[in-house]
Amino acid sequence: MTNREKFWGVICLLVILSAYVIPYTGLSNVEKWYGSFLLWFVVGIVVILINLIITRDWRS
Amino acid sequence: MSNSFVWWGIILYIIASVFIAYLSRSGKEASMSGYFLGNRKMNGFVSALSYSATTYSAFMMVGLAGLTYRGGVGALGFEVIYFAGVTLVAFFGPRFWLVGNKYGYVTPVEMLGDRYSDKMVSVVIAISSCIFLIPYSAVQLAGVGYLVEGMTNGGISFTTGVVIATVLAIAFSFIAGIRSVMWTDSLQALMMILASTAVVLIVIQGLGGFSSFFGTLEQNYPEKLTVPGNGFWSFATFLSMTVPWLFFSLSNPQVSQRLFMPSSMKSLRGMLLGFLGFGLIYTIVSVLWGFSAVIIFPDLENPDVATPYLLSSELVPTVLGVLVMVAIIAAAISTIDSIMLTLASLFARDVYGNLRKGADERRQLTVGKIIMPIIAVMAFAFAELQLDLIAVLSVASSAGLTVTVPAIIGAFFWKKGTAPGVIASVTVAGILVMVLELTGIKPYQLGSGVWGLLVSTVIFVVVSIFTKAPEEKASEFIDYINEELKQELKLKKVK
Repeated sequence: MTNREKFWGVICLLVILSAYVIPYTGLSNVEKWYGSFLLWFVVGIVVILINLIITRDWRS
Repeated sequence: MSNSFVWWGIILYIIASVFIAYLSRSGKEASMSGYFLGNRKMNGFVSALSYSATTYSAFMMVGLAGLTYRGGVGALGFEVIYFAGVTLVAFFGPRFWLVGNKYGYVTPVEMLGDRYSDKMVSVVIAISSCIFLIPYSAVQLAGVGYLVEGMTNGGISFTTGVVIATVLAIAFSFIAGIRSVMWTDSLQALMMILASTAVVLIVIQGLGGFSSFFGTLEQNYPEKLTVPGNGFWSFATFLSMTVPWLFFSLSNPQVSQRLFMPSSMKSLRGMLLGFLGFGLIYTIVSVLWGFSAVIIFPDLENPDVATPYLLSSELVPTVLGVLVMVAIIAAAISTIDSIMLTLASLFARDVYGNLRKGADERRQLTVGKIIMPIIAVMAFAFAELQLDLIAVLSVASSAGLTVTVPAIIGAFFWKKGTAPGVIASVTVAGILVMVLELTGIKPYQLGSGVWGLLVSTVIFVVVSIFTKAPEEKASEFIDYINEELKQELKLKKVK
């Protein structure tokens, strides 16, 4: 595993952990669209961005 | 909605798909990699659409909407965790692709057998995949059943829907193997994304626009916007459902096999990013469908009919409703097709090919073609049982496949992993998952997927430590990958 892969692997883990922890703690009483709904949507966008960066140099 | 609209939709769909499947034929495919992998020449865009159609199936548009209807926003979290898990492709994709090209693997199971230097590894994982993927195929068929039954208010029965889906799935995969599946998939995925997004926009507009839509939810159903919400999404349930889902892209052979197909790393990237783009849209659309159904039909007995009720509601123009219905049926069928093709290739190559001496490619292909309808019929029987919510059954299926994850990770990153370790972990943990699913027991409230993964990891590591690893093969396999990946980095620096 390259160092670059290790770095992004850790970032991914943190993002995934946040998707588990935050809705069940800080957002469990926020009964609004900008509560868990928004958080998970943002996590989805962040995941796409991370993948864009990791695969930046894949060529034919 | 009247039966005739639905029938016409299905008939037009059949004509269009048969036409495309026929066009995509390119002579007679006699080789295994031609039939099952499209000769490893699929471009990024087609691969992305097809990967989407394979993954996002009836489960998604019917099951995820149903799950949202049942428990609220936790369904979005559940799917987003899966989505984040697809990032595994960014790490494992190049590795699968590199060794697939070097050693000519047709199935991921064949790769594991070769890497651990024991054919029994392939046989055991192939058999366990066959067992656990049948409920998942059944879920797709059930999705079609609920869809046509719900949309016609019982005018067309669940069983009729399931029979139509089974017959079409068999027919399409026979016409030209994976090539036809990938091309019909692409058409379906494009149609689905446009039509389903249109439905969401029209329905939300009909309910007074976004602010009024969420305003109604916040006021009348506030528990649907949080977890654990109405109690359905306890943390234990969330964890139990998401763990198998997180590893879906590795553990499900019908999707990991796709990592062998792109023509280049660039195509692989196109497949991954295209899939993620489509995936996020599908996810949001399905969840918003579920929320819309909560507002329009608050008292449904079976949450899995939320989507069909929504599509046949007055808010959705009939033609659009039928179009989306057809797209969902098509997606369900494409998923079963992919699973059937994968299982057929697993059975033909990894079980039959390994256990019977002198089974050449041609014979393996024949066996594969014979096995496909058998799988479809078994899935049909399972679908007819209507055991549980679509989403719940899908997760149960994935829980069984999760037990192969330690062996897959070990293949690429742990030279000391051994064949007895793989065989013991997959067998024991697989049986454990099955027992937990059949008895409904949840130790510490955690589902079978969590226990399956834990137990299989422990067994894989412990047994591997005490048995002899295929050192030569392990070094050759892992060093080759590391060398190639390093070369990539060097090239980048020179640039």
